[in-house]
Amino acid sequence: MSVDRTAQEEPRLTVLRPTRGRLLRTLAFALPVPLIGLVLLMVSGNLLLPLHRVVTIEAKMASKRDFFQDPEVKRLLMKHGFRVHITNMGSREIAVQDIEGYDVVFPSGQPAADLITRRRARANRPALTYRPFVSPIVLATYRDYAEALRNTEVDGGRVAVPQPGSGDRPLYYTLDMERFLKLAKGEGDLGGQRSQGSGEGRQARAGGYRWDDIDPGHRHVRNGNKILAQTPDICEANSAGTYLGLVAFVEYGNDAPDTVEKAEELARNIKPLLVEQGLPSSERAETYLSVDGKSLAPISVIYEHQFLAHQIQYEAKEGRTDDERVLLYPSTRFVTEPQLVALSPDGARLGELIRDDPELQHRAMELGFRGRDAQSDATSDQLAEFLTERRIPVPVTSADDTRAVLPRLSLLERMVQIVGDCPPVQGPG
Amino acid sequence: MNGRARILTLCLALSLVAALTACSGGGDGDDPVTLRVLASPDLTVLEPLLDELKEATGVDLDMDYRATAEREIPQAPDYDLAWLSDDRYLRLSGGNDAGRPLRTPTMTSPVVVGLKPDVARRLRAGVPGGRLSWADIADAAATGTVRFGMADPRHTGSGLAALVGVATAAAGTGGVLRAQDVSCDRLRGFRSGQTLTAATAPDLLDAYVRRQDGADAVDALITYESDLLALNASGRLTGDLEIVRPEDGMVLSDFPLLLLDSGHRAAYDRVTEWIRRDSVQQEIMRRTLRRPVKPAVPRSAELRAPVGNALYFPGSLSVLKQLLADYGDPNRRVTHQVVFLLDFSGSMRGDRMAQLRAAFAGLSGGDSSATGKFTRFHRGERLTVVRFGRGVLEERTVTVRGPGDLKVLADTVARGGYGDATAVWSALDHGYRTAARTAADDPDRAVSLVLMTDGENNAGLTFEEFADRYEALPHRARAVHTYAVHFGEADAGELRRAAKKTGGRVVDADQSSLSEAFKEIRGCR
Repeated sequence: MSVDRTAQEEPRLTVLRPTRGRLLRTLAFALPVPLIGLVLLMVSGNLLLPLHRVVTIEAKMASKRDFFQDPEVKRLLMKHGFRVHITNMGSREIAVQDIEGYDVVFPSGQPAADLITRRRARANRPALTYRPFVSPIVLATYRDYAEALRNTEVDGGRVAVPQPGSGDRPLYYTLDMERFLKLAKGEGDLGGQRSQGSGEGRQARAGGYRWDDIDPGHRHVRNGNKILAQTPDICEANSAGTYLGLVAFVEYGNDAPDTVEKAEELARNIKPLLVEQGLPSSERAETYLSVDGKSLAPISVIYEHQFLAHQIQYEAKEGRTDDERVLLYPSTRFVTEPQLVALSPDGARLGELIRDDPELQHRAMELGFRGRDAQSDATSDQLAEFLTERRIPVPVTSADDTRAVLPRLSLLERMVQIVGDCPPVQGPG
Repeated sequence: MNGRARILTLCLALSLVAALTACSGGGDGDDPVTLRVLASPDLTVLEPLLDELKEATGVDLDMDYRATAEREIPQAPDYDLAWLSDDRYLRLSGGNDAGRPLRTPTMTSPVVVGLKPDVARRLRAGVPGGRLSWADIADAAATGTVRFGMADPRHTGSGLAALVGVATAAAGTGGVLRAQDVSCDRLRGFRSGQTLTAATAPDLLDAYVRRQDGADAVDALITYESDLLALNASGRLTGDLEIVRPEDGMVLSDFPLLLLDSGHRAAYDRVTEWIRRDSVQQEIMRRTLRRPVKPAVPRSAELRAPVGNALYFPGSLSVLKQLLADYGDPNRRVTHQVVFLLDFSGSMRGDRMAQLRAAFAGLSGGDSSATGKFTRFHRGERLTVVRFGRGVLEERTVTVRGPGDLKVLADTVARGGYGDATAVWSALDHGYRTAARTAADDPDRAVSLVLMTDGENNAGLTFEEFADRYEALPHRARAVHTYAVHFGEADAGELRRAAKKTGGRVVDADQSSLSEAFKEIRGCR
């Protein structure tokens, strides 16, 4: 869409809501001095801003607040008469908790959105949903850890390999999920750099291999902790539930269980792999991007957009990518679809706008999201072009990769409850 | 132009065009407000910043510093916010139900060890590569080389983080601490070196200043990195403490600000937004010597050191509670006695006896593995060795004060003189008489029995006769557990019955070695 900036600057009427008694007092105080007020208004530039009806949207969301908290998105939304007030919580937590009084909720993936829409449908209050963009689930790590995995062989194959076409310091690796999970389980014959030094491989390690097992000479890392990917609380977060689905898919022979019995058994079997991290921290991406992140968690389960947004921002500031932070793309891929669930007419208008407005869609891409056209798994052409312009490598998908399928909602939810000892989702919509 | 003026102008504009229905600019969130804050004493250092906070946000934080803030949020007094050093215990005890409070990390600091430089040098010299681990600290504590101070883990974030760190290292699994890892307390040697404690971290620093020199001087502090940096910068020390980050990992606290009353959400948002501003983070770093949570804030030189690998923190409240219960009140000296009932029948000759002697040498400090360092005999521990065959051949008791005492034990075990029969249950009965005497004379001493045998009972009491005598013991003596080490041709079934009856357990030395078996039951009650 071509945008005529001058047209936007036409003064329009601003109406804010909701009403509060105190404001009438403010107004009463203000009325005797309309002239000063007018002058102030001119000076502040408010007259030059679009003065139109602005509604405040009460929203609950998780990682997708990255989008709504972006200053440019805020500006675009304001232009269309929206201000979004965000309450931050995990996606499943949103589904668990009361959503009365909110205009929209924006869980980071389909499962939580489905929990909400089904509950609403049962209560005869159907909600509209909007899917403005998508983003794959990824394992974010640091170069030293990625290289340690690259130099480790499990059952004769490397655990991680750089994506084709990357140079000396690849930004993206493909992680062989089956081999990676064998490391976490302490199964499989270890080879690679481990055997180069001592001349012997290792057959198994009860309870799971540690980083020092795969890099005993400390060529890349020095860490006695078990090898695992850390997630936020599975009772709260979509990324954790999605990672559970991914692990389940791999452990179930690249398939999703389709009966309650099979799902429950599988959940109990993979539980040790997912609870070994202990008490989860809430903000994986924030921890990952923090200065001490490498010490705090070698591998974090996050969304691709969070990594790309960091690289785009870093490049804009430093003129190069942050090549200490790299991504492991699981060989078994899953693209998450955040869903904006509209609970009020204003919420529905916001949903339509986010989904359809070209400027907002473009900005979403600048924040690392893939457009809806990218559901086929290829990085959307637009995003690829945008990254290339900034000399940021473009992640590629291998034809060998498998697309994971999550178990159907009721089974996934049951598995989440088993793995995380989470209370069930209940209550009316 | 500030928010208030903006509202004003907007309202005016609206009134001018006379099409007003409502007008609001952020709700009552901009009103000056006083919030009651339940605060950890670790936050007192930020007191001077609160005026600036009030100036900038209109929010006056009325801080109520309580030593128990990290453990329980009182029901009755109305706190609007809580500002703690660490909220993990509260998160776990709050359960998983809906309505967990919003939390915002404000700064971070790892729990590390501060050592006097000469002690650090001495410890490093004994470790290949000079990289000290929690096991080395525990080992040095057990021998009396290190006397350290640590805040009470039952109340403080720093104390709990330290305890979780050292216990995780002691379990040595590379993973999170589980129930089975804390079923035996491996921190007794470590604990024997704690000679200083306090109810809060700031009190601990003051107490250390008073005890840094003299006959009962403390050599080390286990607390937040920020506390050690602050002490070193305070001018109150006769010598700086060297910061040692244990090789096997640390626990990091992130000093969260929690919203307890969601009705004050708007004010909370203003406060957290202000705290996380780069300029404010810079100021917080300057005052607290804690690490900023914003990557953009440049760190001062002493905060640029890598923080060390984070250990996984337990996700189970029962594990934490067990850990805290085992560690107990750090003000109380805990003393232990272990009675070793060792089978010296003829079948123990040769390789088995060599294994037994090696096991005692290992427990006396000869085992340089991490588990060996955690489970070794420690200062103040009373050890009784009973050699038995047909009857008691020899009994020897020492209280460990130094290497000489351990030599006495080694000599006892090294002596020959084998019996011609194996009176297992008579020996255990004898052990319980010894335990009963200790229980009567020295009730604060925790006693346990270790019964090692390699053959079936063929003399003296039968198991049933032993069991009857055990039942007749006074309550305190009956509470003493028996840990049986099964070796060679011993009757596993009867040993299991004895362990079950007394609340102990059986370890099979044939699966590993006598050394491993002894280490496995060390610290069990």
